[in-house]
Amino acid sequence: MATGIPTLMMGYNLEDIASGIDEYLIRQPLGVFSCIAPFNFPFMVPLWFIPYALATGNCIVVKPSSRCPITQTKLIELTEEAGFPPGVWSIVHGSGSMISSEFIRHPDIKGITFVGSTPVAKQIYRDAGQYGKRVIAQGGAKNFMVIMPDADLKRTIPSLMTSFYGNTGQRCLSGANAVVVGEDDKFYREFVDTFCDAASKIKVGYGLDETIQMGPLQSKKAKERVLGYIEKGIEEGAKIVLDGRKLRIEGNLPDDCFLNPTVFENIRPDMVIANEEIFGPVASIMRAKDISQAIDIIHGNRYGNSAAIFTSSGKTARDFQYRVMAGNIGINIGIVAPMAFFPFSGMKDSFFGILHGQGQEAIRFFTESKVVIQRWW
Amino acid sequence: MKLTTASQVVSFAIETEYKIEAFYKKLAEKYKDQSEVFTSFAKESMKNKTVIQRTYQGVVSDALETGYSFEEFVVDDFIPDISVPEKASLFDVAKRALQVEEKIQKFYQIAAQMSGGLLADVPQTFERIASRIDKRKESLKSLFK
Repeated sequence: MATGIPTLMMGYNLEDIASGIDEYLIRQPLGVFSCIAPFNFPFMVPLWFIPYALATGNCIVVKPSSRCPITQTKLIELTEEAGFPPGVWSIVHGSGSMISSEFIRHPDIKGITFVGSTPVAKQIYRDAGQYGKRVIAQGGAKNFMVIMPDADLKRTIPSLMTSFYGNTGQRCLSGANAVVVGEDDKFYREFVDTFCDAASKIKVGYGLDETIQMGPLQSKKAKERVLGYIEKGIEEGAKIVLDGRKLRIEGNLPDDCFLNPTVFENIRPDMVIANEEIFGPVASIMRAKDISQAIDIIHGNRYGNSAAIFTSSGKTARDFQYRVMAGNIGINIGIVAPMAFFPFSGMKDSFFGILHGQGQEAIRFFTESKVVIQRWW
Repeated sequence: MKLTTASQVVSFAIETEYKIEAFYKKLAEKYKDQSEVFTSFAKESMKNKTVIQRTYQGVVSDALETGYSFEEFVVDDFIPDISVPEKASLFDVAKRALQVEEKIQKFYQIAAQMSGGLLADVPQTFERIASRIDKRKESLKSLFK
């Protein structure tokens, strides 16, 4: 994508907008941008922004997550080795709140990208707006996976396993709520049983062992947070059909940060575990009588990062794509991650800003449009 | 041995291609008359290894269904016997090589079927390698004559 920047930065022109006068648009870099990165994808997420910022002619200052600062430090070392001019791509470590407020106030910084929690995304968006800065602020998520009665379960279940349990559920595109559509109890039961069976077989252990399918949570604190949600779900009356607290870890490892996949059913949309981002390996299964009710449930949630449908019907899929208010829509896709040519979209409380990261939107974010009107005597 | 992740399947394939390369290099060394054929097979194994690695790095990512695609892919039957008996005739080693090719071809065919849930590049790569093996099998069979 970045290597195609010259083409993507091209403006456009119109000859003779009035007699003897031509008009054209050029895109120019703005100066310095900043990037505040999350812990869960310490390498990938900053690269949603950095190549675009640099290739369009800007400089960038990256603030990695304090929980995982090494990856970006290593990357900076590689840029030095590659011969980047000093200061073009910089890194600053420290407290997120202190550094982000410095980024917001600093007159040389023209824009900020942020990926993290919704409260912080909202605050950065609001504060940066006061200083006239551009912002891409990606917040939390609660992604719905809608399973239609005509879904091919054999192919759907592996996709859902990756969606709910990949990265131990610590990603903003993870499936969180599965909505099984229809009043067919037999299909519902088959889905829940197959889902639980597959989830129970996931091998949990050391993440760098390639036989392992799910690693630990990022910290003890993260595990405590997820445990709190599991307890909350039980307290609210959800039925725990697969209890990840009963640990089955491969190898002799301390259990501080591990949890096995958890599955709840009998979930009501108003429950806390159906609404808040758990950021862990917990699936909540609920039912909807039809696609419209499923969409209403999705719309009742504050987030709008992604939503997916599993179906064999093109008509139902199109209806879903048309109606659902979520930035990234999956059709028989569990992790709706746009590739670099497309923007990483997001709506509602999952995104604050106008232009998104990646794709042509990122080109517009990192450049200023300048219109030239010319006449020669 | 049961493989359950795409990463394991790719590692198994790469490791096997290395073994096959070593096998053919040994044959090329030992059977000078057929050195060219065996050397080309060894080179092709390394090409296969590169293609698999590129496909994996190019299209297999955490975003896709990598972790759970290969439900219990038992590969014990596909581990080739690459030993070369000291006094084996060309006929014997060609026969052994044919068995090696048949095993690895079967592995790629099943891997292609089982990776249908991944991006199409993955099964296509496995299929392409499997079909290329047909040519190698033909060449080996000609050594029997």
